[in-house]
Amino acid sequence: MKISRRNFLKGSATTLFLAGFNFPVLANTDKKKNLVVIMLRGGMDGLCAVPIIGDKNFEKRRKDLILDETIKLNSDFALHPKLKNFYNLWQNNIGAIVHATNIPYTKRSHFDGQNLMETGGHIPYSIKTGWLGRGMKLAELKGDGLALALPMPLLLRGIPSNDNFYPSKKRLPRTELLQLLKSVYTDKSEHDLANMMEIIANRSMMNNGDTSMSRKNSSLAYKAGLELKKINGPRVAVFEVDGFDTHAAQGGVNGSHSDSLIEMDSIFKNLEKGLGSEIKNTLVLTLTEFGRTIKQNGGRGTEHGYGSAIFMAGGLLKKSQVYTDWPGLKRKELFEGRDLNSTIDARSTYASAMSTVFDIDFKRIQKEVFWGDELINLSDKLFKS
Amino acid sequence: MKNFFRKVAFGLGPNEKVPSDPLKWAKDQLNDVPEFSWKGQILPEKKLRNYYRDYVYGDRKVLRKKFKNDKEGYKREKNKLRHATGQKFWWNLELCIRYSEALKSETPVLAKLWYFWGNHFAISEKDFLAQYTTGAYQREIIRANMNQNFEKMAQEATIGWSMIHHLDNEQNIGPKSQEAKWAREKGKKKGVNENHARELLELHTVSPDCGYTQEDVIQMAYIMSGWRPKWGRKRLETGDVHFNPDAHEPGTKIVLGKKYKRGIKSLSVAITDLVNHPSCRKFVAMKLCRYLITDNPTKEMMEPIIKAWEKSDGFLPEVHKAAIEVAFNYSEKYNKFQNPENWLLQMSKMADVDLIPSPSFMDLYKLGNKPIKDQRALERLMDELGQHPYLAKQPNGWSDISEDWMSPELLIRRLVYAREAYYKKSGKSQTTEFYEEMIEKNYDNPGEILKIINQHKELVHKHVILFNLPETLKS
Repeated sequence: MKISRRNFLKGSATTLFLAGFNFPVLANTDKKKNLVVIMLRGGMDGLCAVPIIGDKNFEKRRKDLILDETIKLNSDFALHPKLKNFYNLWQNNIGAIVHATNIPYTKRSHFDGQNLMETGGHIPYSIKTGWLGRGMKLAELKGDGLALALPMPLLLRGIPSNDNFYPSKKRLPRTELLQLLKSVYTDKSEHDLANMMEIIANRSMMNNGDTSMSRKNSSLAYKAGLELKKINGPRVAVFEVDGFDTHAAQGGVNGSHSDSLIEMDSIFKNLEKGLGSEIKNTLVLTLTEFGRTIKQNGGRGTEHGYGSAIFMAGGLLKKSQVYTDWPGLKRKELFEGRDLNSTIDARSTYASAMSTVFDIDFKRIQKEVFWGDELINLSDKLFKS
Repeated sequence: MKNFFRKVAFGLGPNEKVPSDPLKWAKDQLNDVPEFSWKGQILPEKKLRNYYRDYVYGDRKVLRKKFKNDKEGYKREKNKLRHATGQKFWWNLELCIRYSEALKSETPVLAKLWYFWGNHFAISEKDFLAQYTTGAYQREIIRANMNQNFEKMAQEATIGWSMIHHLDNEQNIGPKSQEAKWAREKGKKKGVNENHARELLELHTVSPDCGYTQEDVIQMAYIMSGWRPKWGRKRLETGDVHFNPDAHEPGTKIVLGKKYKRGIKSLSVAITDLVNHPSCRKFVAMKLCRYLITDNPTKEMMEPIIKAWEKSDGFLPEVHKAAIEVAFNYSEKYNKFQNPENWLLQMSKMADVDLIPSPSFMDLYKLGNKPIKDQRALERLMDELGQHPYLAKQPNGWSDISEDWMSPELLIRRLVYAREAYYKKSGKSQTTEFYEEMIEKNYDNPGEILKIINQHKELVHKHVILFNLPETLKS
C-alpha cells in the first residue's frame, strides 16, 4: 500500500487552484449524451468490491472475508474477481472508481439512507423529489427518464412524464379505452395519472404481443441500451440491484455479496452491448446508501457502515482510475472507530456527472439541485468535457 | 361518504346492503378476532416451519453433499424436495386464507387493519420464509393479537421465530458472553449483530423521531443477544426461539436512558418501555392515518388516535376504532390512493370476481406433487401486480405513500388485470344491471360514472374503465 492522504491533498490543491481560473466551458450540445444510475440497495461493501492491497489493518479485521485471486487494478487497489465485465471496461479505459466516498449520511439505517441517497438531502423523508429528477428538470429533460423497475424510483421524481419498463406478460386494452381514461384523468385534474396514461398510450418500446420478455436486470440492461442509443430515446436510465445487506454469510468469492455484485456487473456488460458505439457518449454510475463495517461480525457478515465506492463506466470518463482521498484504515482513521471514512461527498461526483452529461454549469447544479451544499466540481478529474 | 366503505374496507359486495350507520358497522367489526372464514385446511405455523426445516436440511445437508459433482442430478432432486415440502403450495393457501377475510368474512374492516399490521411488523423477502411461514406468522402472531394491547403484539412479534430469523438475531452474540469467550479460545470471533435491535426501535416501536443514538442501538442489541432458535443437528435454524444465556451479554445496559439488568427478562421489560414511549403511539397513529387517509397526516388526525391509545393503554380495538372514526370524519375531504392489493380486493368484492380458489379445490393438493396451475394463481397475480404481501423488499414493508405506486408499468398492471378479472366473474354478474346496482351502492356520483363508462359498449371495457377511474383508484 503506497497511497497516503498527504500525497493526494498535494495533488488536488494544485488542480483546485488551477480550476479557479477556468471559465466554465460547455461542450457542444449536438450529440445526445446519456446518464445511467444503478442503485445498489442494502449497503454496498466498497472494501469487498474494491479491496485495498497490502493493508495490515484490513487483513486483520476481515480475516475470513478476504478474497483470493482479486484482480489488481493498480499498486493500491484490487477488484473483486467476479467483476469481469467491469474489468474489461477498465482495460478499455472506460471504467473507473471513486473510493472512500458516500452521501453525507452516517446513521446506518437502510431506509433513511436509501431515502437520502435518492433525494440527495440531509433529513430523511423531508424531500419528495430525487436529485436526478431535479437535475433533469434543470436540463429540461421532460419525458427523457426511464426506470427499469416496476415502481418509479424516488431518484427520478421531480420531473414529470418519466417512463418505466418492466414487461407485463399481457396485452394492453385498446387505444380508445386508454384515450378515454386519459381524458377523464385530465378533466379531474389527476395530472400524474394523465401523464402516465399518455406514456402508456404512446409507448413504442414494447411489443405487447411479446410475452417472453425477461425481467432480469441483464436483459433489461440490453433493452435499455438499445433505447438509449436512439437519438430520440431516453437520456437517463435507472436500475435497481437489491441484496447488498449481507449481515451474515457474506462469504468470499461465492458469497451473497458476490451475487449482487455479479448482477451489477451484468448490467455494465449488457448496457454496453445494447449501446454499441454510443457507450462513448454515456456515463454509468452506481449509488448506494452506505458501505459496510471494516470489521466482520460474528456471522461472517458485516454491519452497516459509512464510506463505500462508486463504480463508473462509459466513454465520457476521462480515464481508468481509482480516484480517492484515501483516509486509511488505522483505528483512529476510521469513522466512529469502525468504518471506512468518506472523504469525498458522493454528491460531488453525481453533480459533476450531471454537469458533464446535461451540459449545465456545475454551480447551477450545486445551487439548484443540492441547495448550495459544499460540493466539489470533479468534472475535470473524472470526466471528459 | 360511500368511499368510506372502500377506505376502511373493500366496498360493498352484491349481497350486502348499504349500512344505515356506517361508523357503527365498521366499529362493530373490531372488538373480537373471529375464526377464519376460510373453510379449507389451515396449518399451524409450527407444522409449516417443519416443512421449511425438511427443505433446508434436505438441501443443505443431504443433496448438496450427495450431488457434489452432478449438477443436473442436484437440480432434479432439489425440485422433488421442493414439492415434497410444499414449497410452491403453502403460500398460495395462505393467500386464500388472507383474502377470504377481505371478501367472504363479516369483518372486512378488521382484515384491512390486519394487512396494516402484517406490514408494520413485516417479514420481508428472505430465504424461503414467504413460501413456508410468513402467512402463518401473520395469522398466529399478528391477527391473533388484534384484540389485545399493542404491547402484546410487539412482544410476540419480536421473539417470533420469523422475526428473529428474518432480522438475523441468531447471529447476535454478546461480545463478552460465554460463547464469545469459547470462540476466542478457538481463535474465532463472535459479536453483536445490530439488525434486529435497530428495526425494533426504528420500524416497530419508537421510530427515529424519538432521537435514539447508535449507542442505544448497540445496547438494545446487547439486551437481545441470546434470543435465537434452539439449534439442532437436524432442525438447524428452524427450532423454537429460546433465550440462551451463554450468548447473552453480561452487565447492565442502557437504552434511551433506562437501565436494564442482564438476563432473560430484560428484553420484555425493554419492549414494555419502548411501547409506552410517547414516540411509539405517535408513530403508530401517524402510520394508521397514512394507511387509511392521506400521505401527509395532520396533527389533528393523529390526536384522537393517540388519546385513545393513552386512555386504553394501547388496547388495539380502541386504537382501531379511533382510527376508523378519524377516517370517517375525513372521508369527504381526503381520498387515499389504494395500493395494488387493496385495489384488487375492492374490485373483487364489488364486482363479484371469483378471486379465491375454492377450499375443496385447494385441498385436492397432495404433498409431493407439483401444484396445479390454478392452485398457484394468487401468488403469481400478486407478484404481477407488484405487491406480493409476503415479499416486501425490505423490513419496512410495502410503502403506503401514493407516489410509490405510480408508474406507467404499475398502471398497466391495473389495466390488464382488471380485464383478466372480468373473465373470472360468473355470468350472472356480467350484466349491465349488475354494474348499475353496484355503482349506485358504492359511489357518491353514480350518474357521472355511468356516463363515462357507457361511452364503451362492451361490458368488459366498462369494467376496465370503472376500476381505473380516479374514484376507484383512490378512496
